[in-house]
Amino acid sequence: MQTSASHSPSLPAAPQAASVRMPGPIRHYGRYLYLAINIAIIIFLLAPIAIVVVFALNPTPFIQFPPVGVSLRWFEKFFASRDFMHALGFSLEVAVLTTLSATVLGASAALALARGNLPGTRLIVATMLSPLMLPAILTGLALFQTYVLLDVGRPTWGLVAGHTLVTLPYVVRTTLAVLHNFDTRLEEAAQNLGASPVRTFFEVTLPLIKPGVLAGAIFAFIVSFDQFPVSLFLVSPGNETLPVTLFNYLKFDLDGTIGAASVVSIVLAFVVVIGLDRTVGLRSYVKL
Amino acid sequence: MMKALGSLSRRRFLTASASLGIGTIAAPYVARADDPTLRITGWGGKWGEIMKAEIGPAFESEFKCKLQTDSAFPYLPKLQASSRSAPIYDVLHTNSNEQWAAAEMGLVEPKIDPKLVPNLADVYPYAISDKIVGVSIFTSAIGLGMRTDKGYGNVTSWKELWDAKYNGVRGGYVIPVNSLGQAFLMMCGTLFGKGQTDLDAAYTALEKLKPIKIVDFTGAMEKMLLSGEVGLCVIHDSGIYRYDGQNQPTDFVSPSEGVLSLEQVLTITPGSKMKELANAYVNYMLRPEVQKRLAETVWYSPANKKVKLDAKYDAKLLTTPEKVSKLIQVDWKWYNERKDEIDQRVNRIFRA
Repeated sequence: MQTSASHSPSLPAAPQAASVRMPGPIRHYGRYLYLAINIAIIIFLLAPIAIVVVFALNPTPFIQFPPVGVSLRWFEKFFASRDFMHALGFSLEVAVLTTLSATVLGASAALALARGNLPGTRLIVATMLSPLMLPAILTGLALFQTYVLLDVGRPTWGLVAGHTLVTLPYVVRTTLAVLHNFDTRLEEAAQNLGASPVRTFFEVTLPLIKPGVLAGAIFAFIVSFDQFPVSLFLVSPGNETLPVTLFNYLKFDLDGTIGAASVVSIVLAFVVVIGLDRTVGLRSYVKL
Repeated sequence: MMKALGSLSRRRFLTASASLGIGTIAAPYVARADDPTLRITGWGGKWGEIMKAEIGPAFESEFKCKLQTDSAFPYLPKLQASSRSAPIYDVLHTNSNEQWAAAEMGLVEPKIDPKLVPNLADVYPYAISDKIVGVSIFTSAIGLGMRTDKGYGNVTSWKELWDAKYNGVRGGYVIPVNSLGQAFLMMCGTLFGKGQTDLDAAYTALEKLKPIKIVDFTGAMEKMLLSGEVGLCVIHDSGIYRYDGQNQPTDFVSPSEGVLSLEQVLTITPGSKMKELANAYVNYMLRPEVQKRLAETVWYSPANKKVKLDAKYDAKLLTTPEKVSKLIQVDWKWYNERKDEIDQRVNRIFRA
């Protein structure tokens, strides 16, 4: 069996690497440049969130910069609104159901694709990723028309199915990435020691592919929770998701409630990620 | 024994879970199975609030039915995608331009039978004119919104929007997606050409409006006016009057050339299985007491001539034949037939 010690003879390359190191001042400025680029990227990523937070806390009923004060009136309005609260709860319900279905289906599909020796695997993978290529609004419209033809109306399971369709590729992709380097001898060893296929799956395979599955599940949750184009056609009267409710609201009332709702969404997403870390171990995903 | 119990328990658990799941999904349908359901569309915002809190429940109670309101845009593609014989809506509530498009596609009935909707006899002529599909239950007046704290002086004409002093603080709409913008384009033809259909004159006028701040939604224009980002803009009266009592430095200008009408139109779908209820709903929405309650909540001018609004609303809304005569209706049928061509042209104008 190869060990890490067996690699040590190849290490003497290090002095050669040291000989091509850049001179001190260049390295010094390079570090600052690297830092500046990173700060610029972070500002680019966080600026929209900062604007939303300012909008949510500004007491005026319109975006004003600089803000004239700090107020929680829009948060009060958001939490006092039955429509928003219902939409928030419904969005969470749909996102959780979507995450479960996309994770189970996506991980199973990835396992089958990686292990099944199926004919036309590449074509199947491409097909599974195809919902990412199609504009989501067309996916929503197509599903809506399908449901109408089937005369099933716009049920919640139909919305979850739509969300699953657009989130499945994330789970398939991230799970396949982990399976790519999977050492199948570990499963063989478990089975040689008497473990049943089910036990091998739950005690060997699943823990090893967990980082990929979890990464896909997180993507699925966030994509579903924020999903707008697919939901637009599939929500039913009285059961609108938060993004659809926000869209309808801002057509008539573009006030800080939109900002408050966005802040709540961001906090919720953050809470979910922290929750996953505490319950199923996000750190293993981070190591991925 | 333990294994058997475990197996039984698991089976029971799965059965119970499945039953619970199916029950949860089916519960709303089972609970409502006895009541006829009227499927309509409707706005969000204040309109949606009062419909949900008062007007809708009162209708349900009186007609022993359920009102299912879809307030998630877009309505027309959903109606198009559903079967003609089993449309997704029984009553379509939207603005006149979309109603005309729906009528052209045969998705809604072009007229409402006055025998089935007796309150039609009491509406102003504009509400059932040849420019209207179905019936207009309310209208807003599209005119100019202005800041009163910038020393602009009295604004009386549409043409003042072209005054150079408003460069940088002039507001308009993305014409392809906004009814107010589309109606305003037709007004430009009237102001500077031979009439609404004089598109060349309208395009030239639009060119001269630049620089102009354009937005998609009227809600966004309201906020831009409130924040002072625009000083004079095209807007509907309800977008200004809804801030009544909040001491905002804004006012609505009803230009001397007339105001454009932004109608709230109801139509019935030909394939509706709830025709009787649909007609009852249209009639209900035209009742004076319903009209008064909605008009005083959302600042829309009622279509029913018999409505008596409180003095504050009566002073500002179009509640007399004289005031209503200032309304200019747009020929949406004509417009929709040329919409693609118009969209391309105005996109070029404002992109440049």
